[in-house]
Amino acid sequence: MGPYERGELMAGPDGALLAFPRFLGERVLALASQVGGVGILLKDVLVRLSPSQIDRLELFRNLGRMGVKSVPIISATAAFTGGIMVIQAAPFVQQFQAEAFIGWAATFTTFRELGPLLIALIFNGRVGANNTAELGTMKVTDQVDALRALSIDPVSYLVVPRILAMVSMMVVLCVIGDAVALGGAVLTADLLLDVSPNLFLSSAVERLEVWDFGLGLVKSLLFGLMIALMSCYYGLATKGGAPGVGRAVNASVVASASGVFIVDYLLTFIL
Amino acid sequence: MIEVRDVHKSFVRPVLRGVSLRVPEGCIYALIGPGAAGKSVLLKLIAGLLKPEQGSILIKGEELGKKTDLELAKLREGMGMLFQNYALFQMSVADNIAFPLRRAKTHSEEEIRERVRERLERVALPGREDQDPATMSGGQKKRVGVARATVAKPPIVLYDEPTAGLDPVTSQKIYDLVREEQRREGATVMVISSDVSGVLSIADRVGMLHEGRLIFDGTADEARVSEEPAVKQFVHGLVDGPL
Repeated sequence: MGPYERGELMAGPDGALLAFPRFLGERVLALASQVGGVGILLKDVLVRLSPSQIDRLELFRNLGRMGVKSVPIISATAAFTGGIMVIQAAPFVQQFQAEAFIGWAATFTTFRELGPLLIALIFNGRVGANNTAELGTMKVTDQVDALRALSIDPVSYLVVPRILAMVSMMVVLCVIGDAVALGGAVLTADLLLDVSPNLFLSSAVERLEVWDFGLGLVKSLLFGLMIALMSCYYGLATKGGAPGVGRAVNASVVASASGVFIVDYLLTFIL
Repeated sequence: MIEVRDVHKSFVRPVLRGVSLRVPEGCIYALIGPGAAGKSVLLKLIAGLLKPEQGSILIKGEELGKKTDLELAKLREGMGMLFQNYALFQMSVADNIAFPLRRAKTHSEEEIRERVRERLERVALPGREDQDPATMSGGQKKRVGVARATVAKPPIVLYDEPTAGLDPVTSQKIYDLVREEQRREGATVMVISSDVSGVLSIADRVGMLHEGRLIFDGTADEARVSEEPAVKQFVHGLVDGPL
């Protein structure tokens, strides 16, 4: 082993001098390895997307447990988000007597930004973390190798159905979330600002463009892809037994959330 | 049937350093050795789950290294494998055992049910079709693993530590089951084990790995009387010796 292969061998002033560049280099290499790994996984998924290769049973199973079972928590989050938007806007609406704009302001922000973002973060915590834990457990208990030993391609059987389910259900959940958020906002505006549902909805319909809603869906689709890829990648890259599963879940949730914010920033900037 | 030629494999450090061995058709070959000797790695290499850095592995004369992923998957259809920590899926016992047959789509659902029932009887777990494997004991899980590994009647069966963590009585029952299955189906069997006395009771041939090298290859009787210091120490469980 060379003298620069281990940090602890670099004691003394020279070692301290090299410690930071070494730490930085290791982090950059680790990041490059992870980005490369996610890219390879995406490629592996794309080449297996022909309808005949998709495991429909697994796809429907994942649609149910990842999507349908997420509806209650997503609905609760969305309802509060819609309400919070109105509460935040309430002082200004009252100060400037801008009741005619509250419907537009609340829905514009919720549809374009807050709805998809908060739903993605909740989805990441509930579905992404669970997906990483499940795949990680399968990896450290040899179940992934067992699939290969049974001539079953783990990407086709485990990853493709999960990614399709997560991406599609994120879009569906965003639509549901938008509708529930709208309900929460209408109710809050009615109770707090005495803005009638008719005024609220006409304000939203008149000023809102279809693209405001569409942008939210595009964001949801990409957020779903980001969470799905990250959670599958970190799950399948798990090593080190049960503690390794914990580390993988942590890394997956952090990487997915960071990825969601980066994608959101870029999309908001570009579109 | 199974031939390993000068295989090298490393994970940061060298694990296998030029291992060569041959498992004749219809033979039970026991691979013994202390922990971290490279036994499980060699088994995964033979199953095509890992690739050697150097050397070659031949199954029925076909070299694994020259196969595409698709060809490897096809080759693995003729193999069954029991994993050290069971590797049972999160589904019922019956679904676990039926899994290889359902994926292969070669049998009707009625035939699969019948085969599962027959397998469960063979491994002394009749009527446990609907049980969740998570609620079973270690020995029962191993037996479900044996049933899954052999349900498609593969000509090659690989067992990775089939008795690890089991009591002596259950261990011997598992070994007897492995022997019976091999006698019935005539499969070529490779068993990895640290439980020397148990595995020698069923093995036709024995190989011993130590520090990534095959230091012994012979019959079970030859292993028992070997004067090679590491083999003698390991087979007889002696405290003093090179291990």
